[in-house]
Amino acid sequence: MDPLIVTQAINLVYAVSTLAVLALGLAVIFGLLGVLNIAHGEFIMIGAYCAYVTQSGHWPYLAAVPLTLIVCGILGWAVEWIMIRPLYRRPFDTLVATWGLSLLLRKIAEAIFGLGFYSVNIPLPGTVHFLDTEYPIYRLLLIAVSLLIVVGLVIWYGGSRTGSRIRAMVSNPDLAQAQGISVRRLAAGTFIVGTCLAGLGGVMLAPLIPVQPFMGLDYVLRAFFVLIVGGLGSVSGLLSGAAVIGGVDSIISATSSATDGYFAVLVLSILFLWLRPRGIVARS
Amino acid sequence: MRAASLIVIVAVALPFLLGPFWAYQLGLYALYAAAAVGVGLCWGHAGFLPLGQGLFFGLAAYLSGLTFIAFADLPIIAVLAMPIFAVASALLAYAIGVLVFRRRGESGPYFSMITLALSLLAFQIATSWNSVTGGFNGLKGIPGLPGLNDFSDVYYVSAAMLLAVLAIAGWLYTAPVGVLWRALAQNERRVQLFGFDTNQLKAVAFGVSGLMAGIGGVVYAPQQGIVTPQAVGFGVSADLVIWTAVGGRANLLGPVIGTLLVGSLTAQLRDTLPFWEVLMAIFFIVIVLAFPRGIVGLADPLASFLKGRRKQAHVAAPKRLSSDQPARLVLNGVGVRAGEFTILDRLSLDFDPTGIFCVIGPNGAGKTSMFNAVSGELATVTGSIDLGDASVSGLTPHRVTRLGVARKLQIPSVFQHLSIADNLAIALWSGRARKLQLLDPRLRRWTTPMLEDLQKRYPFLASVERKAGELSHGEQQILELAMALLTEPRVLLLDEPCAGLSPEETTAVIGIVRWAAQRLGGAIIVIEHDMSLVKELAEVVYVLHNGTLLAKGSVAAIQADAAVRAVYVGGEK
Repeated sequence: MDPLIVTQAINLVYAVSTLAVLALGLAVIFGLLGVLNIAHGEFIMIGAYCAYVTQSGHWPYLAAVPLTLIVCGILGWAVEWIMIRPLYRRPFDTLVATWGLSLLLRKIAEAIFGLGFYSVNIPLPGTVHFLDTEYPIYRLLLIAVSLLIVVGLVIWYGGSRTGSRIRAMVSNPDLAQAQGISVRRLAAGTFIVGTCLAGLGGVMLAPLIPVQPFMGLDYVLRAFFVLIVGGLGSVSGLLSGAAVIGGVDSIISATSSATDGYFAVLVLSILFLWLRPRGIVARS
Repeated sequence: MRAASLIVIVAVALPFLLGPFWAYQLGLYALYAAAAVGVGLCWGHAGFLPLGQGLFFGLAAYLSGLTFIAFADLPIIAVLAMPIFAVASALLAYAIGVLVFRRRGESGPYFSMITLALSLLAFQIATSWNSVTGGFNGLKGIPGLPGLNDFSDVYYVSAAMLLAVLAIAGWLYTAPVGVLWRALAQNERRVQLFGFDTNQLKAVAFGVSGLMAGIGGVVYAPQQGIVTPQAVGFGVSADLVIWTAVGGRANLLGPVIGTLLVGSLTAQLRDTLPFWEVLMAIFFIVIVLAFPRGIVGLADPLASFLKGRRKQAHVAAPKRLSSDQPARLVLNGVGVRAGEFTILDRLSLDFDPTGIFCVIGPNGAGKTSMFNAVSGELATVTGSIDLGDASVSGLTPHRVTRLGVARKLQIPSVFQHLSIADNLAIALWSGRARKLQLLDPRLRRWTTPMLEDLQKRYPFLASVERKAGELSHGEQQILELAMALLTEPRVLLLDEPCAGLSPEETTAVIGIVRWAAQRLGGAIIVIEHDMSLVKELAEVVYVLHNGTLLAKGSVAAIQADAAVRAVYVGGEK
C-alpha cells in the first residue's frame, strides 16, 4: 500500500478517536444531566496545564494523570455543588453559568500562566514501523487509550450497579429518589466523571498541541458539533459523530485550509440541526 | 418621556463634565453599548443568548473601514455607505436566525453555541485573509469621519448613534412585538398557539440585534482608525454579554450602564489590579445566579417614578382577518404514531359547526393527542383534517390558529411575568393584527365588546398593573379561558378546563363556556373526565378508546351504551 495513504488513514483514525474522547465528557454531562457544560473545554485546558506542570516539575509524565484527576475532580465537585445543583432543569441558566465558569477558568489560567504558549515534550518519542510506513508511537498509543476509555466507560455504564442507578436517575429522577437512590450524589458523581474525562483528554493531547488559556474554546465547540451530528444517548452516535466531524475537518483541512475545514464542520452541524435534529443514530 | 429627556441631557453634558480624554473613552464605549443593547434585546426580552455578537460588530467595522480607505478622497461616499453596512449586519443576523430557528425553534444551547462558533470562524477568516483584512495586525490607517475636529465631536457622533439605538429598542419594547418576545421567552408553544410565527419573531429579534451591533461597528472603524480581528472575535462577544448581564439585561438602559461602568473600570484597572478580570468573571457568575436584574434592578423605584403614569383610552380592535363563519371540523381516518405506538388509529370524528361537544375516554385514549393533531402540533401519518373548506393537516400550529382554531391547554399556561392586560392583548392580536402592525404600540390599547363583557363578569381582568403570575390557580384558568375566547375562534378546544378547580370556580367556568357558545356561535369541544360536568355541558358526547371512536351520542345514550360501560368498568375491550 502507498505509505502516504496509510499515514493519512491512521491520522484520520487518530483524529476521530481523540475527538471521541474529548466529546465523551461533554456527552456524559449533557446526555445524562441535561447540562451543557460550556466550560468543558476549560477542563481540557486544565488537563493540559497539569501535564505542563508535571513536566516542569521533572516528574514522570504519567504523574499528570492523578494530578489532573485530583484537580478536575475537586473542581468538578465544587462547581456542581455551587453552580449546577441549584440550576438543574433550568437549561438556559446553566448555559449562562457554565459560560461564566469558562470565562473564569480561562482568566485564572491567564493570571497564573500568562497568555503565552507552552509546549509539552512527547513522553514516548520515536516512531514504529507499521504497514510500510513510520508512524509516531505516541499517536498510536493515544488511539488505543482513547478506544479503551470509550469502551471501558460503556461497559461500566451498562454493567455496573452505579450504571443502572444512573439510568434510573436519567429516566425519572423523582422515582429514583423514591427508590432510595441518592440522586443528588449520583448527579454530582456524574458531573465529576465528565470533568475528569475532559481533564484526561487534555493530558493526552498536551504534548501535541500548544498549551494556552484559549485552547478550550475550540475543543468545546468541536465536541458540541460531535453531539449535534451523532445525537445524544448512544455510543454509536458518539463515534459516528466523531467520525463525521473529525473526518470532514481533517480531510478538508488537509486538502484546503484549516478555516475551510472549520467552516465545513459548522455548516454540516447546522444542516444536521435542520434535517436530523436528533443526530445520525436517532432512536425513533 | 421624562426618562428620555433626562438621558439626552446627561449625554450632552458629559464631555463638559469629564473633559476630552473621558469623552473619547466614552465615545468608544457608547458604540459597544449600542451592540450591548442588542444583546439585551435578545437575552432579556426574546429569551435566547447570542454568544457571538462580535461577528456583526466586526463585520460592519471591516466593511466601513475598507470603504473609508477606498474612498479616502471622497469620504462622503463612505459616510453614505455606513447605513448600508449596518443593515448588512442586520440581514446576516436575520438570515442566521431564520436558519437556526427554522427547524427546531431552538433557542437554548444550540443557538448560543452556533453563534459562538460563527464568531470564532469570523475571527479565523479575519486573521487569515491577509489581502483584504490586513491579517492579524488589522486594517490600519482608516481615515476619520470628515468634519469632526476634536474628541468631543467624535463623542457626540457615538452618543447620537447610541441614542438612536435606544430609541429603536425603547419603541420595540413598548410595541406588540416586544410583548410577544417577552411572552415567547416564557412559553413559546403558547405564543404559537395564538397564531404567531415564533421562529420568525426570534429571527427578527436577532436581526435587530445585528443592526444595533452593526450601527456600533460602522462608526467604530473611522473612530478608532484601525480594525483588528479582535473586533469580530470571541473577546468582544464575551464582553458584550458580561456588560449586559451586569447592567441588567431586561432593562432598556441596563446594557448601556453595564458597558459604560464595567468597560471604563476595566480600562482603568486591568493593568493595575492583576486579578481584575478574574474578579469580573466571578462577579458575572454571581450576577447571573443571584441578581438576574443586574445593577439596574437596584434602582427600580426610581424607574417607576420616571416612567410616570397616565391612563390611555381604548381603541376598538378590527375584525378577524380570516373568515369567522362557523365551520364543520372533520377528522377523517387520522393516524398518529410515536415510534411503535399507535396513538390515534384511523380516527374519524365529525363536529357540527355550532354547539358544545364533549370528548371523554379513559387515560391514554388519545383525547389530548386528537387536539394536538388538530392544532398542528402532532404530525399525522394517515388521514386528513378539514375545517370547512380548508385543509388543516400539515399546517404549522400558528397557521392552524389563524384559520380560527383556539385552544386552552390542560395546564394553565398564561404568561406569568406579563401583566393581565398584556396577556389579554396578545389574544386580541391573534388573528387580527397584520405583521407590520405588531410594530405599532397603539395595539396595546385594543379592546372588543367581548373583552368588555368579560371584564364586567370578572373585574380582575380589567386590572392594568397586576401580573398574571400573581393570580390564583382558578383566576389563571379563567384568564386563559378568556384569552382563548378573545380570539373569537370558529372552533374552541378546551382541555379539561375545570381541572383542579373548586366547585364555585367550576360553576363559573361552566357559565362562561355556555355564555361563550352563544356569543361565539361556533363549535366548542371540551375534553372532560367529570361526568357531572359532561351532563351539564354536552349536546353530543364522543367516547374515545385506544385512539379510535368508540361511541357517539347524547349523554343518556352514551351512559346506556354497553361498550362504553365495559371500557370504563374495566371489562373486555
